[in-house]
Amino acid sequence: MYASVGDRIVIRGHHIGEPTRDCEILEVRNSDGGPPFVVRWGDSGREALFFPGPDATIEHFEHIVN
Amino acid sequence: MRIVEALRRSGVAVGPDRTIRDAAMIMEQSGVGSLAVIENDQLVGIVTDRDLVRRGVAMDIPSDARIDSVMSTPVITVDADGDLHDTFALFRTHAVRRLAVVRGEQFVGMITIDDLVIDLAADLVDLSRPITAEVLFAHRNSAPLATR
Repeated sequence: MYASVGDRIVIRGHHIGEPTRDCEILEVRNSDGGPPFVVRWGDSGREALFFPGPDATIEHFEHIVN
Repeated sequence: MRIVEALRRSGVAVGPDRTIRDAAMIMEQSGVGSLAVIENDQLVGIVTDRDLVRRGVAMDIPSDARIDSVMSTPVITVDADGDLHDTFALFRTHAVRRLAVVRGEQFVGMITIDDLVIDLAADLVDLSRPITAEVLFAHRNSAPLATR
């Protein structure tokens, strides 16, 4: 699973009623673009290190370089 | 089955200097019941929601205390590429509900008893299918042997 800074990770709910969660990738720790990722959780702005499992998908965004 | 193939949830980690309040918020937001505690790329501890209650709240530890004040250490780990059945003995021996999964020195995720029970339940359903069929439906009679 590869990602870039600014991509979004979506974690599906594991049971009925559990919300889908998402976070933004702030830093990619591996030089090849693989995990772990430093992420920021949407609501609280808190950061953590994220190791994606089968419940996570990455939404890639087009990165515009100025 | 390899252990890494049985993981159901993503792993989430924090540094040891994060506060108990931070850890609780991250657990809530990420939907996990435990966090790995990682310092300089090394797994140094594990903290569960139960730790926050029993070692934090119940002991009057302030919520702005460091998370390493309530974490469990040393961490019981299993190799990501190991056989899933190897985890059974570890759960039995150590009386824990979660094991940290590592590849080399790197944290990969958490395997929980819940993950194993779900897999076992699915296996049991598959195994019980032919037995159920045999109980519910009459045995098939063999065709009589041909005689001259």
